[in-house]
Amino acid sequence: MGMDPYLSPYRIGKCEEAMTASSNEYSLPFSRNELMAVELANRLRNDDVTVMGTASAIPQVACRLAQLTHAPDLYSIAGGTCSVNPHLGPVVSSCCDYDLLRADTSLSLNDVVLLEGRADVLTVFFAGGLQIDAYGNCNLVSVGDYAHPALRGPGTVGLPFLSRVGRVLIYTQSHNPRTFVEKVDFLSGPGFLRGPADWKAADLPGGGPQLVITPLCTMGFDPDSLRMRLETVHPGVEVEQVRAATGFELIIPDSVPVTPEPTSEQLSIIRTIDTNGLLKGK
Amino acid sequence: MSKVLAISEAVDRFVPNGVGLVTVGGMHLHNNPMALIREVIRQDRRIKRLLTSPCGALNADLLIAAGMIDEIATSYVGFEHIGLAPCFRRAVEGGTVKVLECDEAYITHGLYAGAGGLPFIALPKGIEFTDIPKVNKENYSFTTDPFTGNQVPVGAPLKPDVALLHAYEADTHGNAVVAGGHFVDRYMALASKTVLLQVEKVVSTEEISKHPQGTTIPGFLVHAVVEVPGGCYPTASHGAYQFDDQEIVRYMNAAKDDNGAKEYVREFVRDTPEHEYLHNAAGRLSELRYGDGSLPVALSDRKM
Repeated sequence: MGMDPYLSPYRIGKCEEAMTASSNEYSLPFSRNELMAVELANRLRNDDVTVMGTASAIPQVACRLAQLTHAPDLYSIAGGTCSVNPHLGPVVSSCCDYDLLRADTSLSLNDVVLLEGRADVLTVFFAGGLQIDAYGNCNLVSVGDYAHPALRGPGTVGLPFLSRVGRVLIYTQSHNPRTFVEKVDFLSGPGFLRGPADWKAADLPGGGPQLVITPLCTMGFDPDSLRMRLETVHPGVEVEQVRAATGFELIIPDSVPVTPEPTSEQLSIIRTIDTNGLLKGK
Repeated sequence: MSKVLAISEAVDRFVPNGVGLVTVGGMHLHNNPMALIREVIRQDRRIKRLLTSPCGALNADLLIAAGMIDEIATSYVGFEHIGLAPCFRRAVEGGTVKVLECDEAYITHGLYAGAGGLPFIALPKGIEFTDIPKVNKENYSFTTDPFTGNQVPVGAPLKPDVALLHAYEADTHGNAVVAGGHFVDRYMALASKTVLLQVEKVVSTEEISKHPQGTTIPGFLVHAVVEVPGGCYPTASHGAYQFDDQEIVRYMNAAKDDNGAKEYVREFVRDTPEHEYLHNAAGRLSELRYGDGSLPVALSDRKM
């Protein structure tokens, strides 16, 4: 079943697109997953209260890394068990794992869902999708016609919360034209909707998507058009590869820097947390 | 009066064939009441509509594999980091099971509304900018907020006829301790007309009453208690054992097509009584028991 590109949008580990993306994959002293975790951690602030959902090993590590480096006062909530500041490691694959309850405290799921309603407490949500479009809208429901789907996804879980959270950080293991589309077939997690006019009229409480991180690159959003814009390419990845792997017209600035490599301190902390090597990949 | 029943009797008495709305507890591959679900399949109790927690898993997919349900209200059915749920995916793509598309907030708030007799519940802004209310008009609607005059999204109350739930332990009255994650199981118990509880062990009322604040499901909501140590297998039972990813992968491979799914259900469910199923799983269960480093139940059961 590993051949199905849609098998799991969050699957940790082998990602065929990423494997072929870089000829020096094996010569880098870190995995793609570790790079993604570090890049997410770099975007977190000391006063953040973050929430993550299904299959969230990468954001779990990002939050713990941030707490152990530049953001000691950050709170992170593992949606599912709803434990607050889980004491990783080891890192676990499931957001509902019993071991996540080794934590500072825990809420009930009802409490977390309640707080997700009011937009001024929880500041960061980690999102993903079977499809992610040019305006950062996400789809975890279905590909093709909803009534007769070509692919039925698992369902949206908490993605509608994207409209109410301060900053949405999107991460995905798949960077290909099937995942990155001009317009999602089913909108189950609101990004900047259909662009500036729509976004302004909606007057949503949240700040919208801020970052998209993939095995190839990091992307942000152009402040005028609210369309996705390439920010950095990961070490060994060419801009052309990203353009070819993206199913819509990505905004590409004249100069695209390389994503900074994790520091040895960051890597050493990750490996202290991730004792089972979930992020090591191949 | 003791509510402890043999599993066959509990399902026979409390899950009528053709029952309207059944909800199954647990979230992802954790605390799924699999023993009760397997017994529902063995007794061929068809379900018109199934309601999952915000993240259904094997609890939903096995019922679909067995051809037991017509409709499913859910916000997710899958095996998280392991992959998609094969029978849910195939049944929805093929149109044999109808989905009532939900999101996590609606399921949570909808159960609250069902539990409290609220006619409907207002939902926070945002869901109206997704396609979900467009495809599920049975659960989502809009009304005027009388305080502001604005149009606001609302959800219908969720009132299951039967809840199938797992708890770590209970006394004979059904006062139950849920170890680890509570998910939305407590609200399922509060909202449902009939509650069947499977537990790892039945303990004395004296033992249960040592920690009343950790006993989050009161006996007056519970109709039957079934003692099935290992009964969540192959999903996890918090406080007892981890999920079995090998068995989940075996199920996923077996259930790649309808015939394979039916064959799996026949071999492991219909033709195998529950005690025999659990006897066969005993070896794996002992390997999956949480180690000494894990949380003691007493530390993890203090939050609702």
